[in-house]
Amino acid sequence: MAAIRTQKEIRQRAPIWLGILLLTNLVIMAVDARDSVTRQRLLRVWVQALVSPAQSLSSGASGASTSFFREIVNFRQTAGENERLKEDLATAQLDLRKAQQANVENERLKGLLNLKEQTGYDQVAARVIARDSSIWFNTITINRGSSSGIALNMPVVTGGGIVGRVIALSPWTAQVMMVTDEKAAAGAIVGQLSGSGALGSVRGLGNSGLIEMRYVSGLQNVEVGNYILTTGQDGIYPPGLNVGEVVQVKPGTATQPHQILIRPGAKLDQLEEVAVLLYRPPQRAAPEQTLPNVDKTKK
Amino acid sequence: MPQLKIAAALAVAIILQLSLGGIWPPLSYIDFPLVVVVYIALQRHAWHALIVGTIAGLAIDAPSRGLIGAGGFSKTLTAYLIYIAATRVNLENPLLRIPVLAAATLIDSAIYFFWHRSLGYPPSMPFMQTISYRLIGTTIVGTFALYLLDSLFTERARQRRTFASRRKGARRGPSTLRRR
Repeated sequence: MAAIRTQKEIRQRAPIWLGILLLTNLVIMAVDARDSVTRQRLLRVWVQALVSPAQSLSSGASGASTSFFREIVNFRQTAGENERLKEDLATAQLDLRKAQQANVENERLKGLLNLKEQTGYDQVAARVIARDSSIWFNTITINRGSSSGIALNMPVVTGGGIVGRVIALSPWTAQVMMVTDEKAAAGAIVGQLSGSGALGSVRGLGNSGLIEMRYVSGLQNVEVGNYILTTGQDGIYPPGLNVGEVVQVKPGTATQPHQILIRPGAKLDQLEEVAVLLYRPPQRAAPEQTLPNVDKTKK
Repeated sequence: MPQLKIAAALAVAIILQLSLGGIWPPLSYIDFPLVVVVYIALQRHAWHALIVGTIAGLAIDAPSRGLIGAGGFSKTLTAYLIYIAATRVNLENPLLRIPVLAAATLIDSAIYFFWHRSLGYPPSMPFMQTISYRLIGTTIVGTFALYLLDSLFTERARQRRTFASRRKGARRGPSTLRRR
């Protein structure tokens, strides 16, 4: 009888608990929503610091497990095609695959090393340890944080081009918003920095994997295959970094800008290693006091 | 100690959710913590289901770029709705769990998306595509995960395992046993 009463009580009190918990979540959401995207959130710093060991571990195991599953798939395919030679073939393929993977990794790391020579900026190499846990956003987590000298808004790149910028930090990890995110943007130019007037800004298109370039005058000559570089005017990315390649142009007119779609130069869906450029944009000069719109009463 | 078992299952689910996406991105469409929340709600433990829903949601929200609390809200409400359904309708049949999981995924995703849109944080991923992938991934993997949780945790399953050997002995009969 007592058990029945308890169950009944539980059932009666459940809506109250529900209300309290939902209200708690709402309050947390409200507090969280007031912060702007680029400001640090202490709760996130703590949680990132807590979960980073697990993510690092899984990331470390990922190479082994991925190759393990690949080997199984390859082995089965080979066995189906040629049963008599399956052992020799599997061994040969295993060696070949390992060598190819080592080659690819080598090339990627070389690319990152060359990047320092190309850009002239100090950089911190980092490994991608996780993607956004909620799957609704284009962010990645890397295994380097403020203890490695990384700060908010620092650009993240690969040998192929820009990846995004740092939007959250913990001592050992950093969260990077990718250029394909709808909220990501950068100043860009079509072709060479000094040889083109096709200036505009690039912006992510969400999940399509492409980037849109806006505000390029319809009078400028833009063609499919042109390269897009950063201008450095956005205060985040240094000038001259590769953004990607034009894959589609809807020509504009004298009064309408071109509609340009770009494929990012960095392979964003296969990111394993990235580099964070320790770049701080030059400080903009304060407005001259002699300008007519400056308030002179403060003197 | 059901609380310990629940905590362990939830911890494993959260770790899987946080790490599997880094290994192979499509795996992040499977919502492991939601499966645990659904399982506990189906056991008709109101308090456990609500708390686990909140903790699971907040744990996934915190390292994400989304709003902290949106996942907690959606999972808590989902847990409650499933608990209410489970107290009114008999959902013991394993086949009935498939639509329950699917409904839970839809409700959870829709509430999560709604809060982000409402508070000015629209998610980057397209709604229909993401919800479809989540529905497929979570329902398929969740069905097996529920079976696994069921066989590991419930008292009935434990009794079934314990008495299986006795039943086998009884079927053989005393004469067979004597011969051996």
